[in-house]
Amino acid sequence: MSKTILIGSPNSGKSLLFNKLTGLNQKVANFPGITVNISSGKSLADPGNLLMDFPGVYSLRTISAEEKVSVDAFYAGLNDPEISTVVCVVDVTRLEKGLIFALQVINACAERGKPVVIAANMMDVLNNHGMEMDIDGLADALKVPVVGISAKSGTGLAELQALLASHQDLPEPFVGGIIASDDSVVHRQAQQLADSFGPKGDLLINSQTRLDSFFLHSWFGGVSFVAIMYMLFQSIFTWAAPAMDAVESILQMTAAWIIPLLPAGPVSDFVADALFGGIGAFLVFVPQIFVLTLVVGMLEDSGYLARAAVICHKPLRFFGLTGKSFIPMLSGVACAIPGIYAARTVDSPRKRWLTYLAIPLMPCSARLPVYSLLIAAFIPAGYAFGGLVGWQGLAMVGIYLFGIVSGLLVTAVVSRTNAAMRTDLPFVLEMPPYRLPSWRPLVRNAWNRSKHFVTKAGKVIFSVTVVIWVLGYFPNQGAALGESWLGQMGQFIEPLFSPFGLDWKYGVAILSSFLAREVFVGTLGTLFGIEGGEENIISLAEHIQNSGLPIGAGFALLVFFSIALQCVSTLAVLRRETGSWRLPLQMFVSYSLLAYSAAWLTFIVVQAIAA
Amino acid sequence: MTLWDLKQGASATVAGFCGSLQGDYRTRLSELGFHPGEQIACVLSPNLGAPKLYRVNNTVYSLDDSVASLINLA
Repeated sequence: MSKTILIGSPNSGKSLLFNKLTGLNQKVANFPGITVNISSGKSLADPGNLLMDFPGVYSLRTISAEEKVSVDAFYAGLNDPEISTVVCVVDVTRLEKGLIFALQVINACAERGKPVVIAANMMDVLNNHGMEMDIDGLADALKVPVVGISAKSGTGLAELQALLASHQDLPEPFVGGIIASDDSVVHRQAQQLADSFGPKGDLLINSQTRLDSFFLHSWFGGVSFVAIMYMLFQSIFTWAAPAMDAVESILQMTAAWIIPLLPAGPVSDFVADALFGGIGAFLVFVPQIFVLTLVVGMLEDSGYLARAAVICHKPLRFFGLTGKSFIPMLSGVACAIPGIYAARTVDSPRKRWLTYLAIPLMPCSARLPVYSLLIAAFIPAGYAFGGLVGWQGLAMVGIYLFGIVSGLLVTAVVSRTNAAMRTDLPFVLEMPPYRLPSWRPLVRNAWNRSKHFVTKAGKVIFSVTVVIWVLGYFPNQGAALGESWLGQMGQFIEPLFSPFGLDWKYGVAILSSFLAREVFVGTLGTLFGIEGGEENIISLAEHIQNSGLPIGAGFALLVFFSIALQCVSTLAVLRRETGSWRLPLQMFVSYSLLAYSAAWLTFIVVQAIAA
Repeated sequence: MTLWDLKQGASATVAGFCGSLQGDYRTRLSELGFHPGEQIACVLSPNLGAPKLYRVNNTVYSLDDSVASLINLA
């Protein structure tokens, strides 16, 4: 089988061309990442030809380690004897920029002996503006075939496919009569070629400028930004909720059907608690990931995401972040996992790293049951400010803000003290044209992302679930959690928490909450002898009050839970997205230490005030 | 005068880069179209110091002051 490489700059229409040629619905994110995301598919016209869609890059001369990964993959492809042709996609409405890249590609292919074809895309836009360009003249000058196409309307694709089957001439390095010894030679050649053969005139759609002056307007822009972000936030909570409930019900029904078939004992307990309980706890995230990926994809493809980044850039820059960090962090308020996936839209590696640091501190919804329990137990139900606001509601707002502020403070400090990955282009963001997103690639992408979560992160989450289950179940067959290995570990670490006035029960609950934060409530319920602690928060809160826990301990726990990274799913997804355990482990250790010290400080301060 | 000083609606020609801009970044900015001799227009200058929108050839880029103030205009 022969193979064809598709390469081009971001926004050149390369992926649309790939979808048209293969009949697939891929969405190749411009996410260089650790592993290069190369989609491949058989050509519809010639099933013996495998098309490979490489991530879009601006230049073969890279400025960051991540770009280098993509470009190295391209060079590796050129050395592959199975590669028969390279197609370089160029946007003719921005010919000069496209040709700078095309010249680099022609020279690389000439060096490595691969035939190259230039696909001059977006000819339909030229036609709509009544303009034309000299395709044949360009082909003669470059000495490589140039085919005028429109990936959108399909014109020229038959000609391109015919050429892919027949074209075997090797290119020569382009010599354009410009003699210079510095880097500027390629772009001067491109400029000259674009001047001689390119379209003449103004191509930018005026509607883009009009929409920009609306969406980036001080008032209208701000209002539409808030409205769109509200919709995004709602989508994670409200739209995903029915699907999340459905997943839960299906799992419960399946469990109710299967478990009675098993003999009572460890096997049935394992299936009930570890298998259905553990898998259920992470499968409910899938609808959230799906919906958020879909909505963020819509914003990205419509062109709005770039505008939202412009709006948020200035305030977030102060904290070492970029405008593109906003959506991942906002998603983190619902759940860190879709937030971490959404951070793929942050193209700068350094800014993405800082965004990863901030996301787990956003007050995610798994913290809500923990906050509810602790607030019910420690904050009086009375009203403040003449009955305007309840103390408990105020405390909830306070602890939410505490998480957000902590996240921003962490990135502000780390960005000023750590120089890791400094080599990264400052804020230069291409504003893509506004357009209506097409559904199929977006749904496909959301589906792939959800599948990725289940198959890749799922393994780690499941392993940890099994370990925690074994520790909590043995050696006494689940008879009493307090006497299990987990209980013994809780008692062993009791001295760690006794400075805050917490006993071993809280140690066990904190250990088990590593599975997911809300497990803290259920575990405490079990240890206090209350069935279904999640549903009986008030009764559990009374038990905690009656146990004589000092108020400082309650505040210390609130602070601990808002900082500590006890979430195996978050760690597993971070490991997947960054390609190693290094960052998740660093974050887990440092946030644990930070949470512990902050909790200790809180205990001392609150106890002093209360006394 | 630097690119960041360009008023909304005005155009100017790039003269060169400020000495403190690294070589790799100069190359990339040139490849994106911000090279000496090129005509650049400021299409939108939002309030509160947000990044401004610049048009080069047929592409619109958003640049913040950390980059735009390193590009000198003729």
